[in-house]
Amino acid sequence: MVLIGINEFIYVASILFLIGLLGVLLRRNTIVIFMSIELMLNAINLALVAFSRFNNSMDGSIFVFFIMTVAAAEVALGLAIIVMLYRQRQTILVNELKQLNG
Amino acid sequence: MDNQIMDLLFNLLGILFLPFFCSLIIVFSGQIRNTVAPFFSLLSGLGSLFLTFLLIKEFSEPIRFSWDWIALGVHKFYIGFFIDSVGLTMLAMIAIVAFAITIFSIAYMSKDDSKGRFFAGLSFFLFSMIGIIFADNLIMIFLFWELVGFSSYLLIGHYFRRDDAKDASQKAFIVNRVGDYGFLIGIILTYWHFGTTNLEALAILIGADVSLISSGIGFFLICGFIGKSAQFPLHVWLPDAMAGPTPVSALIHAATMVAAGIYLLIRVQFMLSFEVMSFISYLGTFVALFAGFCAFAQSDIKRVLAYSTLSQLGYMSAIFGLGFPGIALFHLITHAFFKALLFLGAGSVIHACHHEQCIFKMGGLLKRMPITSLTFIIGTLALCGVYGLSGFYSKDAILIGAHDANNLVFYGLVFAALLTSGYMGRLIWIVFFGSPNSQAAKNAKEVNIIMYLPLVVLSFFAIFVGFTNLWPAQLGATILFDLDYLHHLVNYKVLHNKVLILGSGAWILGLTMAFLFYGRGTKFDQLEKQLPHIYSLLKRRLWVDELYAVYLDKVQKPIAESFSFLDEMVLRGFIVRGCAGLIGIIGASLRLLQVGRLDNYVIWFFIGLIAFWLYGLNMF
Repeated sequence: MVLIGINEFIYVASILFLIGLLGVLLRRNTIVIFMSIELMLNAINLALVAFSRFNNSMDGSIFVFFIMTVAAAEVALGLAIIVMLYRQRQTILVNELKQLNG
Repeated sequence: MDNQIMDLLFNLLGILFLPFFCSLIIVFSGQIRNTVAPFFSLLSGLGSLFLTFLLIKEFSEPIRFSWDWIALGVHKFYIGFFIDSVGLTMLAMIAIVAFAITIFSIAYMSKDDSKGRFFAGLSFFLFSMIGIIFADNLIMIFLFWELVGFSSYLLIGHYFRRDDAKDASQKAFIVNRVGDYGFLIGIILTYWHFGTTNLEALAILIGADVSLISSGIGFFLICGFIGKSAQFPLHVWLPDAMAGPTPVSALIHAATMVAAGIYLLIRVQFMLSFEVMSFISYLGTFVALFAGFCAFAQSDIKRVLAYSTLSQLGYMSAIFGLGFPGIALFHLITHAFFKALLFLGAGSVIHACHHEQCIFKMGGLLKRMPITSLTFIIGTLALCGVYGLSGFYSKDAILIGAHDANNLVFYGLVFAALLTSGYMGRLIWIVFFGSPNSQAAKNAKEVNIIMYLPLVVLSFFAIFVGFTNLWPAQLGATILFDLDYLHHLVNYKVLHNKVLILGSGAWILGLTMAFLFYGRGTKFDQLEKQLPHIYSLLKRRLWVDELYAVYLDKVQKPIAESFSFLDEMVLRGFIVRGCAGLIGIIGASLRLLQVGRLDNYVIWFFIGLIAFWLYGLNMF
C-alpha cells in the first residue's frame, strides 16, 4: 500500500501550477491563458487544503473557500472583458494585441 | 493741532506722489500717451510748485513722520519723512528748476516720437529725487537713491537707437553700481554698529559719544556720494551721460541728481571723521582742477558743461570737507540754477542748429539768437563768479571758507576758478561771437517763447538767488549759519577783499585769455593746433577710461569668463545636462523592455518572482 503524504500533494500541486504557468507563457489565446490562470489558482487551492489537513487546522480550507469565491467573480469579470475585447478588436490572440508597445 | 498735522502729511505725500502718479498716468494712457504726457507733466510740476510753496509757508520746525516698514525678527525697519531747512531748500530748488525744465522740454521734445517715455521718466525721476530729500533714514535714502539711478538710466538711454546713448546709459548705471555697493556696505555697517539707520537717532548717538565715529563706515558711506556726484575715480559716467536729451542733462546731470551726493554728505556729516572730511576736501579740489583741465579739450557744447558740472561739484565737496556744509549747500543751490540755465541754453542752441553739438560748427549766434545768447552769457558770468551774480556769493563764501581752513585747497580752488572762466570763455567766444561756421549755424533762428521763457526765468534766479536775505525765512538756516561764521571771522574784511580781488581777477583773466587765445567764432581748436600733446592728454582725460577698459579686459573679463566656463560647462553642461542625459539613457533603454506583448511581461514577472525568491533565500 502506498502511503499518500503531504509530499505527494505538493508534487501534484506543483505540477498543476507549472502546467498553468507554461500555459500562460506559451499559449496565445486569451481564453486558454485565462483557464491556465484558473489552473494555477486551483493548484494553490490544492496545496492549501493539503496543508490544512496536514496541520489539523481549518484555516487553509477556509482560505480556499474565499479563493474559490473570488475566482468565480474574477471569471465573470475576465470573461466579460474578453467578450468586450473581441467586440472591439475582432481577435483575442495576445500576439495581435500589442497596442501598449512603448 | 491734529488737523494741522494731517494737512502737513497730505502736503508732503502730495509733493512726493504727484510726480509718481503723473508718470503712472502717462505710462497707462496707451496710444494717446505722447499727446497727454506734456500736459500731465506740466500739471504735476505746477502742483508740486504750489504744494512746495505751501509747505514753505507752513514750515516752522523740522517735520517728522515715521511708520513701521518691515520687521525681520528683532530687526525693525522704518520708513519716514524728515524735513528740515536743508531738505526744504533742496525741495524748493528742485521744484522751481524742474518746473522750468518741464516747460522747456515741452518745446524741446515736441518733435520726439516717444514723448510719453520721456515725460514719464522725468516725473519718475522727480518722485525718486524728492524721496531722497524726504527720507529720514539711510535705508530709505538708499531705496530712492537707486530709483534716481534707474530713472537716470532710462533718460540717458532715451535715444536708445543710437549706440552712444545706449552705451552711456549702461555705463552710468554700472559705474553708479560700484559706488552704491560701497554705500550699501556703509549702511549695513552703520546698522550693525548703531542698531539704527535713522539720521536723527544716529546724530543723537554720536552726539553723546564722539568716539563712535568710525573712518571705515565714513569711507563706505561716501562711496555713494563719489558715484552719484561723479567724483574721481567714478566721474567717467557723467560726460558720457550727455548722450541723453538736453533737458535731462539740465535736470539730472547738472541741477539735482548729481547734487544728491552733496545732499547725502550734508545729511551724514556727523558720521564722518576728520580723515574722511579731509579726503573729501582734497578729492573735491582735485576734481575741480582735473575737470577744469579736461573741459578745454571738449568740442561738444554739452560735454564742456558736463566737465564744468564736475568741477563745480568738486568745489562743493571741497568746501564741505573743510567743515562748511552750509556753504556747500549754498553753492549747490546757486549752481543748480545757473547750470540748469546753461544746459537749457545749450539745448536751445542745439535745437536751433538742428542738433549740431560741436562748438566749432557754431559761431555768431549772438545776433541770430539774442535771448538765448544773453541768458547763456548771464549763466556763464554767474558760473564764473562775476560780482553781483549768484555764483559770486557762493564762490566767494567757498573761497573765504577755504582760505580760513586750508591754504592748499584755497589756491587749488582759485586756480580752478581761473580754469572755469577759461573754458567757459572759450565756449562763449566760439559759440556766440564771430561768424557762423556751418550752414546750420547760419540758418539758426531764435527759439520760440516756450523755450526761452524758462531761460529768462532761470537767468532771473541765476542773478538773484545769491542774495540770501531775499529768501523766505524758513529756508537756508544752515547756509546762514555758515555764512554768519565767515562774517564774524576776525580778518573777514581783509579776506573778503583778497578773495574778491583773486576771484574777480580769475574770471577777468580767464575770459580775456580765452578771447585772446581762441578768438571769436573760430573753426578749429587753437589748443589742438598749437599744443597737440597737451590737447591729446586732456582729450584722453588722464586715461581713466582706458585704465578701466584695460582693467575690465585683462582682469575682470578672465575672471568672469572662468566663472562663465564653470557655469556653462561644469554646472550646466556636466551636472545639469549630465543628470538629465543619464536619466534619458536609462529611460530609453528601459523603453526597449516595453514591448507590449503579454507573454514577455509574464516572463519578466516570473524572472522577478524568482529573483525575489532567491533574495529571500539569501542568495545575493
